Amino acid sequence: MFICGYHFPASEGNDVSFDKVIEKVETSVGDTAGKTVSLTGETAKGEVVVELEVPAGTFAHKAFVDYFNTADIEGDTKMVYFTNKYQISEISKVADGDVTKDLCRKLDDMNLYRVKVA
Amino acid sequence: MSELRQIAFYGKGGIGKSTTSQNTLAAMCHYYGQKILIVGCDPKADSTRLILHEKAQNTIMQLASEAGSVEDLELEDVCKAGAGEFNPDDTEFSDGYIMCTESGGPEPGVGCAGRGVITAINFLEEEGAYDDELDFVSYDVLGDVVCGGFAMPIREGKAQEIYIVMSGEMMAMYAANNISKGILKYANTGGVRLAGLICNARMTDREYDLAKNLATQIGTQMIHFVPRSNHVQRAELRRMTVVEFSPKSEQALEYKELARKIIANDLKVIPTPLEMDDLENLLMEFGLEEEVEEDAIGKRAEEA
Repeated sequence: MFICGYHFPASEGNDVSFDKVIEKVETSVGDTAGKTVSLTGETAKGEVVVELEVPAGTFAHKAFVDYFNTADIEGDTKMVYFTNKYQISEISKVADGDVTKDLCRKLDDMNLYRVKVA
Repeated sequence: MSELRQIAFYGKGGIGKSTTSQNTLAAMCHYYGQKILIVGCDPKADSTRLILHEKAQNTIMQLASEAGSVEDLELEDVCKAGAGEFNPDDTEFSDGYIMCTESGGPEPGVGCAGRGVITAINFLEEEGAYDDELDFVSYDVLGDVVCGGFAMPIREGKAQEIYIVMSGEMMAMYAANNISKGILKYANTGGVRLAGLICNARMTDREYDLAKNLATQIGTQMIHFVPRSNHVQRAELRRMTVVEFSPKSEQALEYKELARKIIANDLKVIPTPLEMDDLENLLMEFGLEEEVEEDAIGKRAEEA
């Protein structure tokens, strides 16, 4: 199955543990210290309604940096697949707790998010 | 050369199966160079219109009726090459191409609609339509699997992997669960497997959670959440897929990601469908339905 863009072989079943996903993301992304992750959320009409910064040191921070590095999408700012934003939120709620509570609440909405890493 | 994979898109009527399947298959061709045959299994014959840029293709049943019988038809009569970049002669974007055929069916209210599906698949097999060059054969199948004719692609292992297009609405989930029951019935005799749910989102509250949990409970994955976009409708009005209409748009990229996943997917399971009570509990758990007291059944909102 596919989580955060990664393929987990069928032998791992349909309920891959968050720990395995976190390990995969951390191995891929390496050191993210000093990087700033900014998100904008926009409506279907393209109106920007949310601007957020992802707390450093969290799984969400690493996952968005990894997404930015690996997603096959052109540009300095990259759209985030809806599937990925929901999956990052789902894992972050467990892994990051209160630190990303507000962020996850936003990510769970219906808006399209774009990510920029500086 | 890779082995031919026979996939099928099932789902409740009106859920967006044909739109989702054509856009996804277009992405598999455009971005990944896949060679595909689409077999439309819906009497509406709308499974190929976006690939062909046509209103509706002449169906095998329609052409057989005009010619006298299906034995009077040649493969070339019923199988058309996709328009523009999906034509085998057009290699601008990739070496991939899409061939199209529609089974068709009787006039509304007359005869068995599933008969067209059975006739079409047998004809295509006998005429050698599933040639060695193809990477995928894709069946786009009408509605539920209550009619045995529409279950044809999953009987006898015609389609090996099934993708169910659904949303977070109750009847779409009910249909997804029902289709899983159909797959379960034929899994051991025909080798068919459930390969994933595709959430063609209605953008209802907690739709991702709902779709993901249904998928987990029936033993599969929610392979991709496809958001709603006006680009789909704009492209459809031009009888085009989003991938062709606006290949760099966000919606085209969503289909590209779904295409990548389907090509790489190896999670094919015998499903474990839910009982109706469990399905209703799932909807209540995720807030789509409030729990209803027994004495409120059948009462209006203002009465209950």
